[in-house]
Amino acid sequence: MDIQKIRRDFPLLHNGAGQKTITYLDNACQSLRPSSVIEAINQYYAQSSACSGRSMHRLAAEVTRSCDQSRSAAAKFLNAGRKEEIVFTRNTTEGINLVANSLNLQKDDVVLLSDKEHNSNLIPWQVLSRKKGIAIRVIPSHPDNTFDLEAYEKCLDNKVRLVSLGSTSNLDGTSLPAAEVVKKAHQNGSLVLLDAAQAAPHYKIDVKALGVDFLALSGHKMLGPSGTGILYGKYALLDQLDPFLVGGDTVASSTYDSCEYLPPPEKFEAGLQDYAGIIGLGAAFQYLQNVGWNAIQKQELLLNECITSGIRNLPQLKIIGPADPKLRGGIVSFYIEGIDSHRIALMLDQMANIAVRSGQHCVHSWFNAHQIKGSVRASVYFYNTIEEATLFVTSLQKIRKVL
Amino acid sequence: MFCIVAFVILSILGIFSATNRSLAKEALDCVLRRVTLRPCNTGFDEKMKARILGSVITRSENAARLINSHFELLSWTFFILMFASSIYAVRSSYLFYVTGSCNGLNQTAFCVLDPQGSSNQISGIDETCKVKPTTAADLTLSGVNLTDFPIMNSNSKDTIVMIGSYGCDYTRKAYPLVRELVDKSKASFIYLDYPVKEKTDYLSRVGFCVAKQDPGKYWQFNDTLFAADKAKLEDVSFIEETLTGLGMDSKAIGFCASDPQTQATVTQQLDQILKTNFYGTPTVFINGDPLIGPKPYRVYAIKLRGLWYW
Ligand SMILES: Cc1ncc(COP(=O)(O)O)c(C=O)c1O
Repeated sequence: MDIQKIRRDFPLLHNGAGQKTITYLDNACQSLRPSSVIEAINQYYAQSSACSGRSMHRLAAEVTRSCDQSRSAAAKFLNAGRKEEIVFTRNTTEGINLVANSLNLQKDDVVLLSDKEHNSNLIPWQVLSRKKGIAIRVIPSHPDNTFDLEAYEKCLDNKVRLVSLGSTSNLDGTSLPAAEVVKKAHQNGSLVLLDAAQAAPHYKIDVKALGVDFLALSGHKMLGPSGTGILYGKYALLDQLDPFLVGGDTVASSTYDSCEYLPPPEKFEAGLQDYAGIIGLGAAFQYLQNVGWNAIQKQELLLNECITSGIRNLPQLKIIGPADPKLRGGIVSFYIEGIDSHRIALMLDQMANIAVRSGQHCVHSWFNAHQIKGSVRASVYFYNTIEEATLFVTSLQKIRKVL
Repeated sequence: MFCIVAFVILSILGIFSATNRSLAKEALDCVLRRVTLRPCNTGFDEKMKARILGSVITRSENAARLINSHFELLSWTFFILMFASSIYAVRSSYLFYVTGSCNGLNQTAFCVLDPQGSSNQISGIDETCKVKPTTAADLTLSGVNLTDFPIMNSNSKDTIVMIGSYGCDYTRKAYPLVRELVDKSKASFIYLDYPVKEKTDYLSRVGFCVAKQDPGKYWQFNDTLFAADKAKLEDVSFIEETLTGLGMDSKAIGFCASDPQTQATVTQQLDQILKTNFYGTPTVFINGDPLIGPKPYRVYAIKLRGLWYW
């Protein structure tokens, strides 16, 4: 992988001469976008900003074709059986909410979660618990925060209707053994929803091989436009579900007191869609495919190793999750006892234009349970360089000396 | 403390940038919360501290460490300094308004509101006359006999005495303002000409002769000379035209001006003027208090009528 060539594709990474270039290590929040994605969005607005599906004119036909291509690209990206299994959403959160509200869970049905789910995979179930009386069961992780398969198995019983887990944690970057998790759930007669927001940008996901029932991801964490996402669902399951958001574009016909839903995925895509976003997302899939998973993972590991080894011995610094960077994907999340994480993040920004995230990263439940105020999270992506990782390390070392 | 300091500084910087404006708003929110003894909920102080440390650390780690460990103390220090300087600034603005100088009446130290010190500029008499150096505190009208000089509005309780020189730029700046004040207030007014520019010294004698012939015309004569182009003051024909224009016999005036008797009287008068200990023109005494240099109109007016002079 020619990293400098790749960086030239990202406008934010090559500022004009004299400008301080950003060291962007907040990729778990949103990634940067390559020019091809930006151009795809621009092209839609400049050349074909019309509705998809609804109208007959040639612009509409072109948009319909482009959106369809994006859907096919997404299906290919996830190795879905058919493109109709791909529902466009605004983000992972919407995908999870769609499943939560459409699955028709009943009182006392159990939804199984891990102890470090993003709020997007926690709050929708809490709401259902209040509305319908479903029960939430939490699987404890190992002390090093890795997934505890045994504990998981112990939690599985005949009440568990759905296992809803983050395949890669945004808190510490650890991933769970998804295939095994799905297998065990299915053996138990439970459905599986994977929150792949942090997984999809970093490694190959093969929904067919995994056998997963639902999978949600966000386009903006994987080079796609902001506010784009995908919910994958097995066609048979999607077909059974009632839509969550309804209205225009979800029905084939209606009378004053009834309607006939369109088949999936249309019945889940209510109202006018973010066509530019969808088309841009297609370009993002293409870009990632061109880079290749091996190259992506190799670079991320290199960076994580560099950062981990550079900071792990700083006084009072604790890395959340396992010590081995191989187990933490592109994330190094840490806290220094007695020092506010926001202060560190702001100082990094001020002193070296380094962008990281600080706080509780929407995993408040885990932080509250562990009585930790927050952490600083550096999350890398394949376009980050070893020089950037080193800059982060040296800057943090300086901060540690001062604070 | 930090919030207050930051609020003031950011408010000023906010004039130039929107980012600072929104930070100033956060600082204000923080100040208001602190005033009501609640913690600053925007995390504003934390945020600013981190930004400051982030900037300083790139220059000096030791300085950053110092700031980090004594942040509250430094905030207090800045607050006190700022408080003191604010009071000083208010005082200076007030003094500038009232006296035309940030440091008080006739004080020539640097003033940001009048960086050139224009309201204290004088044409010094040291170069042309031998007098011992004096200061503003030495200036006085007591012991100076002014009865021989023409007086306008002689029955007013207020008196304005102006020592000036026809050829002095600063006098020329102040004269119309003083005259305006005299017109408006009807205060008694005496103009004492002290020729700091030698080339125009004959004008003192001409003025004396005009007053001797027709005291009423003396004021018109002065007004005309101060309104005219300065270069013309050295032009005898211009002076003659002026006198003729005032309906006076310019020849007779010329004769009077070159009379040794006039010379002697004028010299006596100049000696009287020197008794004020003045050291430059213009010097304006308003009810006995000296104002040195060409002050803005409001300063003369305030001196005469008080702060609410209008
Ligand atoms: C693991 C995980 N799940 C869900 C989400 C929510 O993603 P979005 O905000 O795009 O809906 C995130 C976002 O950070 C995430 O990291």
